[in-house]
Amino acid sequence: MTEQQMDCALDLMRRLPPQQIEKNLTDLIDLVPSLCEDLLSSVDQPLKIAQDRSNGKDYLLCDYNRDGDSYRSPWSNTYDPPLEDGSMPSERLRKLEIEANHAFDQYREMYFEGGVSSVYLWDMDHGFAGVILIKKAGDGSQKIKGCWDSIHVVEVVEKSSGRNAHYKLTSTAMLWLQTNKEGSGTMNLGGSLTRQAEQDSTVSDVTPHIANIGRMVEDMENKIRNTLNDIYFGKTKDIVNGLRSTVPANVERQKAALQHDLAEALLQRRQTTRAD
Amino acid sequence: MAADGDDVISDQEKVRIVSDFILHSPPGEFNEVFNDVRVLLNNDTLLKEGASGAFAQYNKDQLTPVRLEGSELHTLVTDHNDLGGGRFFDPRSKRSFKYDHLRKEATEYEPYEPDRLAEPWRAALDVELTNYVAEHYKHGASLVVGRALDAGAVALVACIEQHQFQPKNYWNGRWRSVWSLTLGGGAAELRGALRVQVHYYEDGNVQLVSSKEVRAPLAAPGEAREAGAAREAVRLLAEAEGAYQTALSDNYQTMSDTTFKALRRQLPVTRSKIDWARLVSYTIGKELKSQ
Repeated sequence: MTEQQMDCALDLMRRLPPQQIEKNLTDLIDLVPSLCEDLLSSVDQPLKIAQDRSNGKDYLLCDYNRDGDSYRSPWSNTYDPPLEDGSMPSERLRKLEIEANHAFDQYREMYFEGGVSSVYLWDMDHGFAGVILIKKAGDGSQKIKGCWDSIHVVEVVEKSSGRNAHYKLTSTAMLWLQTNKEGSGTMNLGGSLTRQAEQDSTVSDVTPHIANIGRMVEDMENKIRNTLNDIYFGKTKDIVNGLRSTVPANVERQKAALQHDLAEALLQRRQTTRAD
Repeated sequence: MAADGDDVISDQEKVRIVSDFILHSPPGEFNEVFNDVRVLLNNDTLLKEGASGAFAQYNKDQLTPVRLEGSELHTLVTDHNDLGGGRFFDPRSKRSFKYDHLRKEATEYEPYEPDRLAEPWRAALDVELTNYVAEHYKHGASLVVGRALDAGAVALVACIEQHQFQPKNYWNGRWRSVWSLTLGGGAAELRGALRVQVHYYEDGNVQLVSSKEVRAPLAAPGEAREAGAAREAVRLLAEAEGAYQTALSDNYQTMSDTTFKALRRQLPVTRSKIDWARLVSYTIGKELKSQ
């Protein structure tokens, strides 16, 4: 593997239709097997849902709660299929992880009114890192299928005093919309946007890590939601209507000529009135 | 998902993957995808020998417009005017040419004699379609080919292509239509395949991929024969393309007004952002109580 190959692999994933991310990623790994681990940790895929066998609660799967072929549930903190020595967060971090899962469960309910969320944390040298995952599928009303996936990766560097921390957030939101109707045929509008933010915050009883991360995630997701709205329903629609115009060019020309004539007539009238 | 780092696939399988990537290049991004797969495959001989078929297929699938020396209008590189051996014909200028699929250039022009029986029908449709394209596609290009069938009927294929490439603004888009019909043999059917693809890729990868199959009955040509049949065919295909475009716009509206809003709210029901300090203390309190 070379660095150049990794750059090309990521460039390729930014170009190929996102609707086939999983297939393209599998093919890419088959083509250059040495890129496997790097690709799995840097290419975001639509989130998959699993059920925790011990309590029946749903949780989300991603590369960050994967160890080998097993995935860890944030609810029971166990791997499925079971792993004897699967990697685990430290005791202190697991406590924070439990709280974070509860907090983001409420965040999800307030903004998404449904769906599934999961938070996974892991220890780092000077702090910790984590991922906040949210998935919400639409109810398919009006024959349109919709799905949202959020993947927020946060790195937290704790300052030696313990009263300050630096937060680096990388957020990806995926939005999938699909319909097949008689009038429009198949219409598949989907993909992802990625944005980053960094900030320093005080860590205290009233502003604990989860609250600091929560505010950043909330602001970021609100911002991305607006951008998704602009790009999906504004930009790509404008591009389509720029390719073909529903109004024939000669009608447009006539309209322009008519407007021009009207403007001329108004101008003349104004001039005549003034002359009177 | 975890692949074994030592798994090695056959050259044949590598060619299949690389060809598949090439064929899925978004409009206007063939060169970038080509460069990526070249580095990833790291075997130029295999790329050239194994995947050059995909380069040609991609250009034909995309209905790639090409400018011919001395022709005012672009013609298209498609499956329908493919003569084999890298040559294509342009019925409008009655020439064939060699097409370089990587440089995207036409060379080695030769005269080309179109099908004599089909030509009056083809030429009539070409005139009507060219006018229509000029009215609805600002930078569109088109191609009409025809061939005589048994019993005096003529099979025609009409292709329309329009693209806009704006890599500096991180977006590209393409519209493609392929219409086929049989004329001169009584009542017939007009069949169309319409496709739109848009790629937006500033800090992301968002694509619209849409397609629609259309079938419309075509009345037997009356008095004016060629010209009348051509006018009627273009009237029908114009109507179908307009209906498709309008239906896409309607979907956009519903997706934005209904589907998107139901996925995630702009703000919680309270209409204000979350009070995180309260939410976290409440969460911890609940956690302590349950212990």
